Amino acid sequence: MGSLEAALAAFRYHPEEDVGGLIELPQSPLEPEPAARGEDVQLLAFALGSDEYAVPLTTVTEILRARRLTEIPRARPPLLGILNLRGTITPVYDPCVRLGRPTEPGPRAGPDAPPAARPVRILVLRTLLGPAGLWVDRVRGVQRVRPEHLERPPSGPTGGVMGVIRQGGGAPRTVVDPEWLLR
Amino acid sequence: MAASLTPDRPLELCAFWVGSAVYAIDVARVDEVLPRVVPLPVPGLPEHVEGVVHLQGATVPIVDLRRLLPAGTPPRTAKPKVVVAWLGRRRVGLRVDGLAGVQQFHEQDVAPPAQGEPGPVIGAVESREGPWRLLDVRALLRRAPA
Repeated sequence: MGSLEAALAAFRYHPEEDVGGLIELPQSPLEPEPAARGEDVQLLAFALGSDEYAVPLTTVTEILRARRLTEIPRARPPLLGILNLRGTITPVYDPCVRLGRPTEPGPRAGPDAPPAARPVRILVLRTLLGPAGLWVDRVRGVQRVRPEHLERPPSGPTGGVMGVIRQGGGAPRTVVDPEWLLR
Repeated sequence: MAASLTPDRPLELCAFWVGSAVYAIDVARVDEVLPRVVPLPVPGLPEHVEGVVHLQGATVPIVDLRRLLPAGTPPRTAKPKVVVAWLGRRRVGLRVDGLAGVQQFHEQDVAPPAQGEPGPVIGAVESREGPWRLLDVRALLRRAPA
């Protein structure tokens, strides 16, 4: 059964196996920059409460001061409301829900919402489904890190965490997958 | 492809339901099994590719095996899952009707495929619960209509 032997050899997994001619899939525009090239990874750092987070800078298109959102009846977390961004309807999400952080009580959209604190910003992200806003407590700025300083989680379910940075003796900063925060 | 003849070489299989049949792949190919996956649609994909998900910073396509293999009704106990499988150094998510288990066999247990099996089925083993069809995932996706 030589043919069965060959078929079994092809059946077994081998990391170097030939995968040419397989379904070609479009690369997502959100694909993180390959770290293999040794270039610095640019991150947009922000804070939620006392904890530090970051998302890949390439996914952020602009940063807005917090403004009054338009409420959506029966909107459920993490959706806070919507924003008319130069004619584009942009949903705004609360990252705290997916990160398991306590969320602020009270409405944050509609006429009854209290004005947001001064440092609060809305990060406008580019996603596969269009623009989306992320409501954050404070923007820290752009941070460049060497790829080797980004501690990546081992494979397995990571809960949207792309890595952790520990630099400069400060609090560790968690790099999260923005798509995951919105899901 | 010169494979040495070692009939008692162990063969560990991970099996899943697609339609009314059970298919098996090399357990080394399986990265993880996800219970609920909502892929992001991407325009211009072939019909059997539902979209992509982001896993640990990598883009992983989700392929609906139910569109590529014969239709049928899975047992009522089967719970749909996505099996994330390695193809070379990339991963692909395979949507299946349910997991059927992991079991160890030997290469000598593999029988040639029955008549009328789909092309990527290279053989079958007899498990405790019935036949498991050995599915060559690379051949299946290479053959898949574009």
